[in-house]
Amino acid sequence: MGIEIKNQEIENQMRELARNLLNEKKVDVIIGYAKGTVPLSSAPIMITNEEDIDKLIWNNLCYINLAKYLVPRIPQLIDPEGNNLKVGIVSKGCVGRALIHLAVEKQINLDDIKIIGIPCNGIINRKKVEKEIDEKEILEVSASGNDIVVKGKDFEQKFPFDEYINELCKVCKVKSPPTDASISEACVGECQEISNLEDDFADLAEFEAKSSKEKWDYIKDLLKTCTRCYACREACPMCYCNLCFVDQNKPIWFGKTTELSDIIVFHLIRAMHLAGRCVACGACSSVCPMGIDLNLITRKLEKMVKERFDFTSGIDSETLPPMMSFNMDDEQEFMLEED
Amino acid sequence: MTVKNEQEAEKSEEWEPKIIAFLCNWCSYAGADLAGVSRIQYPPNIRIVRVPCSGRVNPYFIVKSLTDGWDGVVVSGCHPGDCHYLTGNLVARRRFAILKELLEFFGIEPGRVNFMWASAAEGERFAVLIRKATKIVKELGPNKKFEKKW
Amino acid sequence: MEKVGAVMVVGAGIGGSQASLDLADSGYKVYLIESTTSIGGVMAQLDKTFPTNDCAMCIVSPKLVETGRHQNIDLSINCKIQEVSGEAGNFTVKVLKKSLFINQDKCTGCGVCGKECPVEAIDIFNEGLAKYAATSVRYPQAVPLVYAINKDYCIGCGICAGVCKAKAVEYDLEDEEVDLNVGAIILSPGFDEYVPPKANLYGYGKYKNVVTSIEFERILSASGPYAGRVLRPSDGDVPEKVAFLQCIGSRDFSGSGNPYCSSVCCMYTAKEAVIAHEHMHQIKPTIFSMDVRAYGKDFDKYIIRAQEEYGVQYIRSRISSIQEVPETNDLRIRYETEDGKVKEEIFQMVVLAVGFNPPNDAKYLAEKFGIELNEYNFAKTDIFNPVQTSKPGIFACGAFSSPKDIPDTVTQASAAAGCVNQLLYDEKGTLITEKSLPPEIFVNGQPPRIGVFICHCGINIGGFVDVPEVTRYAKTLPNVVLSDRNLYTCSADTQTIIKNMVKEYHLNRVIVASCTPRTHEPLFQETIREAGLNRYLFQMANIRDQCSWVHMNEPEAATEKAKDLVRMAVNKARKIQPIDRIKLSVTPKALVVGGGISGMAAALNFASQEYETYLVEKQDKLGGFANNIYHTLEGGDVQAFITDLIKKIESHEFIHVYKEAEIENIDGYIGNFKTSIIYGKNKEKAEFEHGVVIVATGAKEYQPNEYLYGQNDLVILQSELEKILNTSDDIKKKKSIVMIQCVGSRNDEHPYCSKMCCAEAIKNALLAKEKNPDVEITVLFRDIRTYGFKEKYYRKAREAGVIFIQYDENDPPKINVEDSELRVEVKTARHDTINIKSDWLVLSAGIYAIREENEDLAKMLKVPLNDDNFFLEAHVKLRPVDFATEGVFVAGIAHCPKTIEDSIAQANAAVSRACTILSKEEIEAEGKTAQIDMSRCIGCGMCIENCAYNAIELIDDRRFGRVAYINQALCKGCGACSGNCRCAAIDILGFTGEQIFSMITGRVS
Repeated sequence: MGIEIKNQEIENQMRELARNLLNEKKVDVIIGYAKGTVPLSSAPIMITNEEDIDKLIWNNLCYINLAKYLVPRIPQLIDPEGNNLKVGIVSKGCVGRALIHLAVEKQINLDDIKIIGIPCNGIINRKKVEKEIDEKEILEVSASGNDIVVKGKDFEQKFPFDEYINELCKVCKVKSPPTDASISEACVGECQEISNLEDDFADLAEFEAKSSKEKWDYIKDLLKTCTRCYACREACPMCYCNLCFVDQNKPIWFGKTTELSDIIVFHLIRAMHLAGRCVACGACSSVCPMGIDLNLITRKLEKMVKERFDFTSGIDSETLPPMMSFNMDDEQEFMLEED
Repeated sequence: MTVKNEQEAEKSEEWEPKIIAFLCNWCSYAGADLAGVSRIQYPPNIRIVRVPCSGRVNPYFIVKSLTDGWDGVVVSGCHPGDCHYLTGNLVARRRFAILKELLEFFGIEPGRVNFMWASAAEGERFAVLIRKATKIVKELGPNKKFEKKW
Repeated sequence: MEKVGAVMVVGAGIGGSQASLDLADSGYKVYLIESTTSIGGVMAQLDKTFPTNDCAMCIVSPKLVETGRHQNIDLSINCKIQEVSGEAGNFTVKVLKKSLFINQDKCTGCGVCGKECPVEAIDIFNEGLAKYAATSVRYPQAVPLVYAINKDYCIGCGICAGVCKAKAVEYDLEDEEVDLNVGAIILSPGFDEYVPPKANLYGYGKYKNVVTSIEFERILSASGPYAGRVLRPSDGDVPEKVAFLQCIGSRDFSGSGNPYCSSVCCMYTAKEAVIAHEHMHQIKPTIFSMDVRAYGKDFDKYIIRAQEEYGVQYIRSRISSIQEVPETNDLRIRYETEDGKVKEEIFQMVVLAVGFNPPNDAKYLAEKFGIELNEYNFAKTDIFNPVQTSKPGIFACGAFSSPKDIPDTVTQASAAAGCVNQLLYDEKGTLITEKSLPPEIFVNGQPPRIGVFICHCGINIGGFVDVPEVTRYAKTLPNVVLSDRNLYTCSADTQTIIKNMVKEYHLNRVIVASCTPRTHEPLFQETIREAGLNRYLFQMANIRDQCSWVHMNEPEAATEKAKDLVRMAVNKARKIQPIDRIKLSVTPKALVVGGGISGMAAALNFASQEYETYLVEKQDKLGGFANNIYHTLEGGDVQAFITDLIKKIESHEFIHVYKEAEIENIDGYIGNFKTSIIYGKNKEKAEFEHGVVIVATGAKEYQPNEYLYGQNDLVILQSELEKILNTSDDIKKKKSIVMIQCVGSRNDEHPYCSKMCCAEAIKNALLAKEKNPDVEITVLFRDIRTYGFKEKYYRKAREAGVIFIQYDENDPPKINVEDSELRVEVKTARHDTINIKSDWLVLSAGIYAIREENEDLAKMLKVPLNDDNFFLEAHVKLRPVDFATEGVFVAGIAHCPKTIEDSIAQANAAVSRACTILSKEEIEAEGKTAQIDMSRCIGCGMCIENCAYNAIELIDDRRFGRVAYINQALCKGCGACSGNCRCAAIDILGFTGEQIFSMITGRVS
């Protein structure tokens, strides 16, 4: 089955679910994806009227993590009296994970949210495609069979879909939102019960085998173009602090400049803050205007908490994340010991 | 040994790293005191900062120490189970495990930041581990990764 | 006779220290009298403690420091009791303070005298395994840290007087005699270890590689003679096979030892075996024992772990002799295996698990204080109140009354303090003095004016660090207006200098660069407070213990380091602010949950101190499980005791009893709780406020499914037999009874020992034999755990003809019913099968706690349960009746299975701990606490999960929405919350982010 047909099926199903939720007054507003204003993009949309349901789309450019709009709640999702509206949220796997994790961190209440589960089939790696197209202007992007088709003024280029999706999507094991007994009320559409995720993190092996110097050089090269626009932070559903550490004063712990060492520290501490919390949606990389792909760091975060604490963020609503808990028997092979 | 290696060896003999050490008040700081009372000698490279508990040590302290030019960082707490605050060191241990792995993932040499446990009775162990940490950092050479270019 | 609000505590081990702290914190003047030259007793000698393997020094040393400097504790060392007169409420004790030949007021504990002393004397602390000088302290962390000259070894060379810059050595210092007037006395002289006689069967003293367990403890210790490496004394080799022999000098009815069980050896031996293996993995420990007496909380689990994780091998055999292999100094042990074969094995080292003797001066003390000793020369105590000696007003705690471990000692210490409270409560606060202090100088917003005082510490710092250079350097640092140096900054005259300088230079921050803040910070804080500065405007740079003493061969580097440390202290000082300790009011009332023996004992103690007490009981009558018990093993009449207790409780004007009651809700925190209950037949509602809570909810008797219980009328529980024996003569018709031990205990479901069942079985067996000498009684057991003096009754039972047969837990007895007769089939250790016809099969059912019942209360009080559903105390060793949540305490079987007398002791202990709160109108919160910046907090709840003290909760703030709130009364200032906070919304006063930032940064390269 071609990707475009799958997308169409998902889209139809999603619209149907959204329409029912609105009709049955189970929700006041639907958050979903709409067509983007420029090619290779999509946009968020809030729908309160049944007529607008057909504006909802699903394709492989729906890279935004919609959970972001719930924490803090944007004004469109609050009624004039200040109460939370009931929200139906179109959720691919990583949006579902974000919702569950935000519930664990007491940021949202899944009682006033309906998770409209959809089985995501992968998000296109915008940067990789753009790089191939080079300077040429893209007018249209579509999927056909197993290919991504990019059309411009006087060209058309095909890319194998499996190769040109985000690195995170290639290894993704949570395509549709996770659910469990305690949150099944909130779930409609395609959600999955996940008991134990297996992952060998083979994709990290090559990088981790590098020497410290090679790693440092790689990281420097990766981040050297960062302008600290903080688009990554703004797109991240887990970056919801009132005052990000880089904006704190008294004391100002880390430099705010775009000098490379300050940039690296920003990404290092941000990674630290996302350990056991990152839901591997890849939104940070998708929105980066400089095309920096942070997937390696994302994968490392997932690997560390999985291997050390047998934890995967956002797949069950009952287990406390590793940084919120501790265990007498945790591994401590990294501690300095006498010879 | 080539001339160049010789020069480097000489240079590293002259050079002494500066290491900042965050010690919990109840076990490790007491262990460091005991090393003193017992007159156990260890290299004079560490500068000790007393904190109530290893659980107090925020990753900021460690990363800031590195960016501010300390050549090495040591964090020492009570052995698991001995924490004066019951579980502060267990909370800290998870945090340190992640931070250490992340630092190494970013290309910081594994020996720059060292976590250890030392009890109030382990003056000898404290000295042994500080000797070891000092040796490791010294072999790594000066910490220049975060030196500002401008 | 007028009562006196002072208490004397004799013996400053962990028990004496705990009792002193409890009483001092409750407003009594305490005279703590110690016979040696430092406090801490045996616990300070230990390496680790079971069952948690906690480092003993780590946990005990803060307590000792607190004891040493408590305002209400007058500590005297090197003392002897001369005479005692008076009676409960008013005693006069003549105490001889023997001269140390070093002036305690002048000695700074720097230790130069000890280093220079040319005569080596034996060091008692390391059990003779290391050498110390004639001028010495007992151990490096000793409290008080003053040196003493041992005149037996001193040759009078005068070197120490010459090197002492503090001029503290006074060879002609004389003994002093003082009369102390006190209202009550607590005796806690501890015990003396059993020393195997020379040339005995075990070759102790003859074979070098045979050591006692206390010597082995020092070998294990990181501060011991081999720095924690396990080496054998003969050649310093690592022993591969180490044999531990149990019951050396204990359970010995024929030899030179004691007939009683020393209670703690089984556990400390397991611990030593585990730690030895942990220190050096090549060590393979073997333990030879009779019964393994792991009767305490989580003890059995420890034994299982020792076997499974550390490969400790247990062999059930009592060794009669050891021979040395002369060529290797190895040791040959012959033993009989369980199935009767004789084996011979070679070990590289043998550890003798020596038992407890009464303290050497027990008779002397008994005579002086006029108290009775028991048949074993331990202090004789009341059958239901194990801390009450034969003389009113004099209490005993710890190993003085019977061999016991640390938690039991600490519990008894608090219990003794609890009993003193009952006696002297109306004299509380009459003899303690409060210092009058000048008002604090307002320094907020003023630029820092820092004074730095740098100490030479005689030659301890000055000999290795260029102090004048450091002083010059300090003067160059920003905001430093004064930099001065002193020979001894801690001396009394320097305190006057510091105070004058504060005035003269208008200092608003003071730094002392000298030794360690762990011992000296409080002294300097007191000094600047007397000069009008807030205590927290003080910083210390540790340039001795962590600089001059550890870099003695590198004076230049040491000087550089000292400069850096002073600069870091100055940097921090520029950021420090005064801290006001928050004061909280206290409601002087108590809630006791549970109306069994523990709950009633606690309530009665509170009420007799005129604290209003609410006693809440689930059942329709008081008494709890004790209603089913007639006598204790030792012969105490439980029914009479409990009837009397209930009468007192129900008629007491300060006690409100609520029966058939259920707790709806408990709100609040230390000093300020609010509880609502529903009680009585008519489900009435009641609400009350109180300052403390005692959890005494007890537990249940196991109702077995095994051994046909409930299906065959001839199968009964031990408690049912007790009732029959005490209320009828049915026993006279019986010919044979079989008892099975450990029913519902020590199995997968309840992996702990229920502690009382062995004693209960022996008690009933003895009574049955007494009523019908012809009845044949067979007890099927796994280990007989008649610890302590209960051993006597085990022996009595055997003498009375009770048959004890050990069964294998994996092959338990089988019950066959033939012609309505019971037949018990059991396999013995030698694999014979025995068939016993039995008129009654009596099951010793264990004690168990039900999660559903305890969970609700635990949640309301924010206290934890352990895996077996018993309440989990704050610290297994040193805080056995406290919870981590302040103001909440535990007593009785809710904590773990225990005897009636232990439950009562725990109840009194819980009351004593609670009185340290209730005795105050206001309690002061810890100054260095966590503070939240609500504008930064996002309410993620991470700090809540990481807080060990339940001090944090989420609240809905009007301005900031849902944010974390930190209860200052509960916060201990550890900073676990702050270390993880992404928003940096939490800061720790005294260790703020800004302060630590300033220490990291601002380096001069």
